[in-house]
Amino acid sequence: MTQIELRGVQKFFGAVQVIKDLNLKISDNEFIVLLGQSGCGKTTTLRAIAGLETIDEGDILIDGKPIQHLKAADRDIAMVFQSFSLYPHMSVYENIAFPLRATRKSKTEIDSEVRSVAKTLQITELLDRKPSALSGGDMQRVAIGRALVRRPKAMLMDEPIGALDAKLREEMRAEIKRLHIKQGSTTIYVTHDQIEAMSLADRIVIMHEGVLQQVGSPDEVYSRPANLFVAQFVGSPVMNVADAAVAETASSASVTVGGAAAGFEFPRALLSKLNGHAGSQLALGIRPEGVLIRHDAAEGFLPVETQIVEPLGSFDIVDLKVGSKMLRARTKSGFVGGPGEKVFARIDPAQAHFFDTASGKSLEVRL
Amino acid sequence: MAAVRTSSEIGFNRVAIVAVLVVTIIFLAPIYWIASTAFKPRNLATTIPPTVVFQPEISPFVKLFTKRSQLRSPPTPEEYAAAPWWERVVFDGGEKIVRDGKGQVQWSGYPSRFLNSLIIAITSTVLAVGMGTFTAYGFSRFKVKGEADLLFFILSTRMLPPVVVAIPMFLMYRAVGLNDSHIGLIILYTAFNLSFSVWLMKGFMDEIPKEYEEAALVDGYTRMEAFFKIVLPEAATGIAATAVFCFITAWNEYAFALIMTNRRAQTAPPFIPSQVGSGLPDWTVIAAGTFLFLLPVAIFTFLLRNHLLRGMSFGAIRK
Repeated sequence: MTQIELRGVQKFFGAVQVIKDLNLKISDNEFIVLLGQSGCGKTTTLRAIAGLETIDEGDILIDGKPIQHLKAADRDIAMVFQSFSLYPHMSVYENIAFPLRATRKSKTEIDSEVRSVAKTLQITELLDRKPSALSGGDMQRVAIGRALVRRPKAMLMDEPIGALDAKLREEMRAEIKRLHIKQGSTTIYVTHDQIEAMSLADRIVIMHEGVLQQVGSPDEVYSRPANLFVAQFVGSPVMNVADAAVAETASSASVTVGGAAAGFEFPRALLSKLNGHAGSQLALGIRPEGVLIRHDAAEGFLPVETQIVEPLGSFDIVDLKVGSKMLRARTKSGFVGGPGEKVFARIDPAQAHFFDTASGKSLEVRL
Repeated sequence: MAAVRTSSEIGFNRVAIVAVLVVTIIFLAPIYWIASTAFKPRNLATTIPPTVVFQPEISPFVKLFTKRSQLRSPPTPEEYAAAPWWERVVFDGGEKIVRDGKGQVQWSGYPSRFLNSLIIAITSTVLAVGMGTFTAYGFSRFKVKGEADLLFFILSTRMLPPVVVAIPMFLMYRAVGLNDSHIGLIILYTAFNLSFSVWLMKGFMDEIPKEYEEAALVDGYTRMEAFFKIVLPEAATGIAATAVFCFITAWNEYAFALIMTNRRAQTAPPFIPSQVGSGLPDWTVIAAGTFLFLLPVAIFTFLLRNHLLRGMSFGAIRK
């Protein structure tokens, strides 16, 4: 049982505040991913939990006990670094045994534990090698082995697969997930790669400029982003965001984007849901898969012109000119012949998000 | 590696090989000169043109280690026959070995000077490299107020020729009773080498990624344990390179050793030339003393050569 809680954590580097009043509860066995751009404070948060950085304000609690004044060595937390940080002068065996040696365990105990971890990670045949003789993926396995061997209260991972190439990254991602399911330890994982975050996390914590933006399951942060930052940071290709004007028509609501002549048709319910926000500047957010296009005219579809077509294998991304604005739509591959083609588009109201442009916050309008 | 080499590349290679040979010969010539003179009979040491082919002799080394006096009359055949081989070679040179009342051979000043050199150079190297390593680690890993100024201040001790301060140092040393003492020279050489050691080690420390220690800290070790278990082994190359340079500086130092010591703590460098002093100079003995004096540095450097080569290119090449 390991619960980690951050309460009002603040951290300054000189005059720069890198963590701003961070509150977060992580439950036992949970896999939490801290996601954000570089410099958003995610790694500093992780290092603060590990005890490699001090915090200026607030509490870090493990199982209810404040640990911010404990040394890293006394926190019983393991960490995997982006650079792996395998000790170059030690063999793989010695690297994995190193944390156990700090606990003054007997030689036979250490040996059996090292070998059992090596077996789990399938690196038994590498035990005698020096880290310099390992491939990137094997280095990563050894680094994870070194973290696992002590059976720590929590595992911290700082972009552990960021240094690997794309294919290996995918393999290791699956391996980390498998391992987490098997070993089940509370894990905090830092990455700037939203695909990694989506595929690994039980819950994703999105940070921006030291401020926590949203905490939620991968599905939640994807389909119900709390603000414009999350909306545009999570998801690839990124969500379309455009200033929008909402008007009432005879039978429905109309949302005009980019000052286009005609607006997209929305259910009338939108008007009542937006009530109270009528005065605020609105932004419409729609993921490319929420922009529906067809070749022939149909009710509710606006005529638009295609600009750029990006074939991505399993699907295409098509840029559509709507007024002065460009909307990106996701289509079946080869659906659109090329640029300059006339097609008809509409926005799926169920997938539309409305944000207050001034505060960036989602208006939580769901249709 | 390119499998095909152009003729100009082959030509360049040949020129490079010749250049390396020439430079090597230039550097090795004085060493050859010393080594060959150390094994020459005395009468061949100063011939013009130099004698290149000769029957090597061990007598210069025997003379180097013993006190001798001129023979007034040649030894009797019985005396000669009873003498051990190393005494006979001295007799052959027209000298005899001085013995005390009990017949014990009197040693020359060289062995004790050599031992002094070893004690002083090794101790000052250990101190300078040890303190330098800790200081460099501190500067490299912690925020030190006025770091740049402090590092500059440390370096400033090397901004004038040391011999400039020889007279004031001598007066100070005499006042506190440190002249002609081992500890005096050790302090002096440690101080000389410390700034160099700090600067060189700082470079090496900066090259060791912080993450290694952080990993050790998270793995359950204190910072001190992390320093000894992780940082020191990683810094071995830098420590070896720094130690070689510090050792050579302390081993070869002449001016201060000449001024500050005269007997008890005198090192080999001022002693060797002092043997030229009386009578006709025996260059073979001086060459033998110099030859032996070269050996520790040669051995030390040879033992650490792999570290040294890596140390030289450290930072330029990523592992």
